[in-house]
Amino acid sequence: MPSILKVKGLSTTFSGKHGDTTVVDGVDFELGKGEILGIVGESGCGKSVTSLSILQLLGKKGESSGVIQFNDMNLLEQSEKAMRGIRGRDISMIFQDPMSSLNPILTIGKQIGEMIEIHEEASGAERKLKVIGLLKKVGIPRAEEIYREYPHRLSGGMKQRVMIAMAIACNPAVLIADEPTTALDVTIQAQVLDLLKGLQKELNMSIILITHDLGVVAEMCDRVVVMYAGQVVETADTRTLLRSPKHPYAKGLVHSASLVSNENKRLNSIPGQVPLPGQFSSGCRFADRCEYVLDVCRRSQPSLSKLDKNTTCRCWLYGSKEAVQ
Amino acid sequence: MARLKEVTQSLHAPLMKEEKNPALVQKKLKVSMFWKVWNHKRAKYHLIFLFLFLVMGIFGPMIAPFDPNKPFYDALLQAPGKEHLLGTDALGRDVLSRLLYGTRVTLTVSILAAGITFVAGTLLGLISAYVGGIVDNILMRIMDILLALPSIILALAIVAVLGPSLTNAMIAVGVSSIPSFARLTRSAALTIKSSGYIEASRSIGSSHSWIIMRQFLPNITGVLVVYTTLFIGGAILDTAALSFIGLGAQPPAPEWGTMLSEGKNYIYEAWWLATFPGIAITVVVFVINDFGDVLRDIFDPKSVN
Repeated sequence: MPSILKVKGLSTTFSGKHGDTTVVDGVDFELGKGEILGIVGESGCGKSVTSLSILQLLGKKGESSGVIQFNDMNLLEQSEKAMRGIRGRDISMIFQDPMSSLNPILTIGKQIGEMIEIHEEASGAERKLKVIGLLKKVGIPRAEEIYREYPHRLSGGMKQRVMIAMAIACNPAVLIADEPTTALDVTIQAQVLDLLKGLQKELNMSIILITHDLGVVAEMCDRVVVMYAGQVVETADTRTLLRSPKHPYAKGLVHSASLVSNENKRLNSIPGQVPLPGQFSSGCRFADRCEYVLDVCRRSQPSLSKLDKNTTCRCWLYGSKEAVQ
Repeated sequence: MARLKEVTQSLHAPLMKEEKNPALVQKKLKVSMFWKVWNHKRAKYHLIFLFLFLVMGIFGPMIAPFDPNKPFYDALLQAPGKEHLLGTDALGRDVLSRLLYGTRVTLTVSILAAGITFVAGTLLGLISAYVGGIVDNILMRIMDILLALPSIILALAIVAVLGPSLTNAMIAVGVSSIPSFARLTRSAALTIKSSGYIEASRSIGSSHSWIIMRQFLPNITGVLVVYTTLFIGGAILDTAALSFIGLGAQPPAPEWGTMLSEGKNYIYEAWWLATFPGIAITVVVFVINDFGDVLRDIFDPKSVN
């Protein structure tokens, strides 16, 4: 599969009052054309920051280094103006909370229309037709009425559909969905995921799906990147990851998910918490919570090593070498 | 892209006929905004009053019975009566005519002074909130310094520099309320700065000016309208005050504050001199302020239906 987005050695640092904090540290992954790539990990692992780094939406205090290759250009070297042309048109994003992502005093039609207004030449009437078409496409009933409605009249699921309509308005090549279903209830989650999957096939988009729900991953993704404490610890195709996770953290994640819950027993959990950025040890960052921890783990950090064609893992148990720090 | 267009068009071929003219739809929307205000009982009375005030400002000089500056030496300090409905002043000038001419001045003040405050205050407040950081800090500290003085003192200082005249008084009043207006605008803008839809708008590639004009401004329009209305009331009062102490409109110009000032010398002999301009100022300022309050209720987007 030809890759459309290639992230190499992405590190993102935020400067603050108490010095710099590296939140994302040397992240590598590739997104194939028409692929759905999952990024999973606990809260605070740097998933969202990674996605914001891709769009360069970090704000003034965030700084990224590395390479983000998209269509022969390195996004990190683009000017703010060039990035504006890319955001929304080539790479668009859906946020976690649809309630706050819509402007409360603009009508739905106007907000989706803005996306088209920014990136395409279209008359007002054309725009309206297109927006109503988009609303129908994302499964919103009575699209003509909803066009004139304000966001607070819509349910959470509808709002997320509106956000999706906005995100696909300019046929982006890549869609970044940052926990798109977290704020929704379970039945609506399934509908939204189905919708995303359908749209992905129809428009041949690539999707980066950020989530901490392995059920969502199993349902949607072709490949998965597991992140821990700002680093990639394992990449594998979904089937492999769910059946035989390699990295102890990935194992813990898979075992703590209730994918097959016909047995009535307590769920497993990984003891401890993700270390805060800035408090990482010089050894493996997972060492303190790992049940297979070795001496070497505490001493030096393992590199991300290739196990086979599709699988990489960052663990001394799987023949990692010492990482270059 | 082409495919999407096709799908859209095929889906909505019948719709195209129905809504041919987007300008018409837009117009309908604006009209409905007016009806919303009109249908509010209190706002309706305010609107009618303000409309009459406007009419008086424009046509006042035509309906005034006398020349406002023409002295009637045979009728000095005459109490309200048949010939001079609101009496005459110490020079024998007709108080009603002077009041009517003064309406126009007050109207100009509300538009010019409040206009200066609105434009500059909104601009400074929005820039300060949007840019943040050091720009915000510097701008707001300057505003703090200016706010440390009562706005009438600030206006006095400005008039002292520009020289006393009605236009300068208006400018002074307008400029002196910029700091508080900028602060209000800034705090209104700050509440939406961190909201999700601003980030969402950035994520679809909006430029800074787009975000300010299309996301910030519409969100605080309601607030701005309410503040501006309240500031108009304040501006009328301040200009009258400046005229009262002799730094605004210069005699013999018919201005409510000047009339009040001239009347105060005769407060025991001729109560009507100070009373009528005083009532005029009070009523106009009260109506405008209350109108501002009502507008706030109407413009709150959450109170829509």
